[in-house]
Amino acid sequence: MTAATAPVTTGVPRISAAQQRAERMARIRGIIFAVIGLAGFSFASGSMGSDVTFRFWIQEQGGAAWEIHTAAGLLWILAGVTTGVGGIYQLWKGASVSWRRWMALALPFWIAAIIGTLLAGKPAVMTNLFGGSLEYAFPIAMGAFAAMICERSGMLNIAIEGKFLLGACVASIAASVTGLVFVGPIAAILVGVGVGWLMAWMAIRHRVDQIIAGTVVNFGALGLTNFVYLRILQLNTDINTPPTVEAIKVPILSQIPVLGPVFFSGTPYLYIALITMVVLTYMLFKTRWGLRLRASGEYPNAAGTVGVDVIKIRYRAMMLAGAIAGFAGSYLSLHSAGSFQMNMSAGKGFIAMAAMIFGGWNPIGAFGAALVFGFSDATQTLLSSLGVDVPPQILTSVPYLVTIVVVAGLVGRVRGPAMAGIPYEQG
Amino acid sequence: MRLELREITKQFPGVLANDRISISADRGKVLGLLGENGAGKTTLMNILSGLYRPDSGEILIDGQARTFTDPADAIKAGIGMVHQHFMLVPVFDVVASVALGAEPVKGILGSFDRASARKRVVELSTQYGLDVDPDARIEDLPVGVRQRVEILKALYRKSDILVLDEPSAVLTPGETEELFDIIRGLAAGGTTVIFITHKLNEVLEVADTITVLRRGRVAGTVLPAETTREELANLMVGRDVELTVSRAPAKPREVVLDLADLTVRDDRGGIAVRGINLQVHAGEIVAVAGVQGNGQTELVEAITGLRHVDSGTLTVGGEVVQNATPRHVADMGVAHIPEDRSRDGLIANMTVAENYILDTYHRSPYSSGVRLNRKAIAEEASKGVREFDIRTPSVETHVGALSGGNQQKVIVAREFSRPVKLVVAAQPTRGLDVGSIEYIHRRIIEQRDAGAAILIVSTELDEVLALGDRVAVMYAGQIVGILPSEQATKEAVGMLMGGVH
Repeated sequence: MTAATAPVTTGVPRISAAQQRAERMARIRGIIFAVIGLAGFSFASGSMGSDVTFRFWIQEQGGAAWEIHTAAGLLWILAGVTTGVGGIYQLWKGASVSWRRWMALALPFWIAAIIGTLLAGKPAVMTNLFGGSLEYAFPIAMGAFAAMICERSGMLNIAIEGKFLLGACVASIAASVTGLVFVGPIAAILVGVGVGWLMAWMAIRHRVDQIIAGTVVNFGALGLTNFVYLRILQLNTDINTPPTVEAIKVPILSQIPVLGPVFFSGTPYLYIALITMVVLTYMLFKTRWGLRLRASGEYPNAAGTVGVDVIKIRYRAMMLAGAIAGFAGSYLSLHSAGSFQMNMSAGKGFIAMAAMIFGGWNPIGAFGAALVFGFSDATQTLLSSLGVDVPPQILTSVPYLVTIVVVAGLVGRVRGPAMAGIPYEQG
Repeated sequence: MRLELREITKQFPGVLANDRISISADRGKVLGLLGENGAGKTTLMNILSGLYRPDSGEILIDGQARTFTDPADAIKAGIGMVHQHFMLVPVFDVVASVALGAEPVKGILGSFDRASARKRVVELSTQYGLDVDPDARIEDLPVGVRQRVEILKALYRKSDILVLDEPSAVLTPGETEELFDIIRGLAAGGTTVIFITHKLNEVLEVADTITVLRRGRVAGTVLPAETTREELANLMVGRDVELTVSRAPAKPREVVLDLADLTVRDDRGGIAVRGINLQVHAGEIVAVAGVQGNGQTELVEAITGLRHVDSGTLTVGGEVVQNATPRHVADMGVAHIPEDRSRDGLIANMTVAENYILDTYHRSPYSSGVRLNRKAIAEEASKGVREFDIRTPSVETHVGALSGGNQQKVIVAREFSRPVKLVVAAQPTRGLDVGSIEYIHRRIIEQRDAGAAILIVSTELDEVLALGDRVAVMYAGQIVGILPSEQATKEAVGMLMGGVH
């Protein structure tokens, strides 16, 4: 090389910025965990004497039970030790993700310790708590699946809430009028498909901003169902008293001690959610349909130039999502309530979107996230039924706090489909 | 297969993009399709790939007329496209990217049979010497390899006619040579190749016949052995052009721009500029060469105050300016011609006059207090329009309605309308016609001769060599070599661009 060549800078340590950031985050995490762990110990000293009972029904509600007796203090110590050790391990190891395993271990102890302390000696019926979590999780999980299918195809669907409401309203009327419970969900699915098509048509054909289209559907559905409720259903209560969906015990599986009453004695909704999760995971990641759907959401031009019909894929995704969200809406009125009430979705459609993000745009993750939300709902129900004096707002806010922490990146960056919400232009 | 296009015509509102274009390519031959931006190359290619339908004319494959209603038809007819902007899903692996749209499936659910797709990909890459890891993710691959994946995509669909659109735009000279070897190999194997480019040297090197397009028409068809660069340039532009702008030797004076150990991060927090040392003197042009994405964008943004400087110092005329505001930097006499004129240079929906004062609107005579002085703005803008030969109906025309060359002239006119100490020009002639390129190069040299320091960043090797009094090569965020113009040959710079030093 010539004399004019600039000296090439060498010896600069090639640590990427991402790595540096990970190291820094690891130190912060380690210190926070260690401090929280110590806090666990300090709680323990005051509650060594208080008893905690966790009760599992072996077969039937109120029948034979299996119980764990322990002291709240012990739970606090376990929570403190696992967290503290996890924190120190993190400090020692630097940037690594091993802390997730430690936290997964510590979290149940924390929850058990908190619940145990709050109950102050009353038995915690865990069968109901877990069963309740699954029940509450259902609409959230299904809503998350619906939103996920859309986003994976490149559409932004924030109208899950509206579809829940319409589904709930239509299902109640259809089931009441016919007297046949299964007609309700079918009607809800049809309405969901229709609304999904309408949104796709607005967004694709007329280039309506997808956030605005979704907002229109949400408010439209709220207004419409309120109107129907106040002007029609309240005056004719006979068309708002649908038969409810009954629990079905799965033969054999429901006989498994402890697990049977939790997982296999619910309503068909629960089983459908589990089946949907498995099938959707397979469809998204292992089939031609999934490959094309994901390509449409990540880089539609790549799909379009090899002859894949992106527009058709997006229409179908919106309609399928409408079907799933409408079906989930029918749960609200046909499951426990036994009638349609105004604004009975109460924001679950938006929590479903949080679950989708929390779960990393992946069905199993989203179901897990929905369970977190469901668990906090079920805990709230348990505590209030036992007359424990905790402001319910605190418990209901926990899932949102968790979501903020997750989305803010503590758990690692989650990345959604690149082109969600951006119209596709060919050529 | 033999491909023939007969009398293809395509009209867009206000533009006759293709006017009775006829081209033909024989089996196993390489047709070079040469033309400037706006000559109708892209439209023709979109017609061939089934994205547009021609208003009239026909496409014949082996003598048989074919009509394509969508891209799937064109693929079925054996036409494979390698687009300038790669059509690959970043988060997919190579196998999925290649198979997308033509996936082998099994079972009632339509499961993607990845194993058999992978087998095909491996077979094809060994058969044609396209070295690719089938399991790598696209976003982790260098651009040269991504292009091989694009070619594999076409081969996977058993394309007999391969169309490459500006394939060398993102490659280093070394990678371009490899690409030419691949093209020759494919042609020898019986594939018909259509090679679309605006680079004269490339068609001369690789094509068997050359068809030149100009303003939507065929300007001529020639054989590489019987033509010269000058003749091709003449066909492309329609008049004699000077291929290199003549310039007097530089007379460098004091240092204006001084970068010392400058380190800058990219949007994702990774280090993009890695401790750069560079000085630009008054009265000289330093041209920074390098393949896109080696830190040039971040370097320019740091100098112009648009990006945070992590460490090191940056001085202009002796004053420390790292992390100063863009306005402060501009007020010091730094002219900035940004890389992406439609995103960073102009506001398409504002008028020529408004764009002309974007960086000086707050000063007299353009404004007094909160009020803009429309008259002064219109007068000054008209002056700029005359001086820089901007072709616009009036200064009240929206800038988005002008051609690319005229848009770029608006930017240059604006930046040179105030006293200039330093010019930072990124890709100053990207996408422009030869006439505009010549004009803008001349204006930049004029600024140099008037005593300004000039820093040009370009991925076009020809531009770097034509303008640079010194050529600095950037690779992986570092300056890997600085060559004086007499030593800056294509080979020497090309080696450095590929990281060989």
